[in-house]
Amino acid sequence: MILNLIDKFALGKYGKWFGLLSRLILGGVLFAAGWLKIFTPAKSQMAVRAYEVLPISLANFLGIFLPWFEVGLGVLLILGIAVRLSAFFGGALMVVFIAAISQAWARGLSIDCGCFGGGGTVDPSETKYLSEILRDTGLALLGLYLFRYPLTRFAVEKFTKTQGA
Amino acid sequence: MATSSSGGDKFTRNLVIGMVALVVVVGASFSYFGSKGSTTAAIPSSVSKDDGYGIVFNADVPNVPTIDIYEDFQCPVCARFEAINGITLEKAIEEKKAKVVYHVLSFLGTESILAANAAACASDEDKFLAFHKAFYANQPAENAGAIDATFLKSIGAAIGIDSPKFAACVDNGGYSDWVKNVAEAGAKANVNSTPTVFVNGKELDRNTEYFNVEAFTKAIAG
Repeated sequence: MILNLIDKFALGKYGKWFGLLSRLILGGVLFAAGWLKIFTPAKSQMAVRAYEVLPISLANFLGIFLPWFEVGLGVLLILGIAVRLSAFFGGALMVVFIAAISQAWARGLSIDCGCFGGGGTVDPSETKYLSEILRDTGLALLGLYLFRYPLTRFAVEKFTKTQGA
Repeated sequence: MATSSSGGDKFTRNLVIGMVALVVVVGASFSYFGSKGSTTAAIPSSVSKDDGYGIVFNADVPNVPTIDIYEDFQCPVCARFEAINGITLEKAIEEKKAKVVYHVLSFLGTESILAANAAACASDEDKFLAFHKAFYANQPAENAGAIDATFLKSIGAAIGIDSPKFAACVDNGGYSDWVKNVAEAGAKANVNSTPTVFVNGKELDRNTEYFNVEAFTKAIAG
């Protein structure tokens, strides 16, 4: 029922405009998040390590690679190229972030998510897990929408067939 | 759902995807190799490779605890830590009650690298602790452009370093490769915050032992 409604909306008059908005929000956030971290790789590595999930060497690798990956996904989404693919990775990344933040919260770590630079251990009063999770949930949903309805306004890449056909 | 695109568009699509992928891979590689340490880096005196390239005091005193201190010269909490515990640490060093290793990290940015380099230059003049103390007492705002060679030399002058060697060392940034080595070792040691203090390899309790001079004194007694 709800899916039908979403389908109706997405294929209706405003669907592609909402798609454009989703692209710009998800892409813009990914681009900004990556950009703010690529110039301080040591700090970004620290932020990944602070989740205490991955082996140190892998965390250090991700701390360097992730910001560039985010920038790349952001560019593709903003331009509107390979929307389905980049929305999939963007959304999946958000799901991973939500899982990582949740486990940190559940284990009682006090860290900053390091989403937009920063990160690492912080004072327990400075954690904001709930708002971080809610934000990433919203972004993940936008990714899901774009994955299902990748045809949007003002995308560089044009399609020959129509969406949902 | 349609995903097929027209011929010319497909070319553009693949071109852009390829370019973006290339930028990501090249950029990440640059970050990786740019932050990697080097085994041939010039190393200040009193630095021990085996102690994570830290600046070591009382390296040869037997049967005392080892205190590893990780900090970033730009970190405000480190200035607070120094204000509270600096004297205790200096005393422990002077009385040979502990082996103390200072790891000057630089994750806050380029100005941290400049400051760490200058601290290494001061170490060559046997003035690391004095430099450390004077710097934190005058710590400028983070990445505001205030930490430059002029500022760092003025800190040196304030603690009585007037050698041209120090000035040249600060100007040339001759120890910046070493600063990378310290950062890399800190990353491997899983240091995720500054300041971070280990006593005999065990991290102190951030909630109780960092900013209370009695608790800290007790903790570093080993």
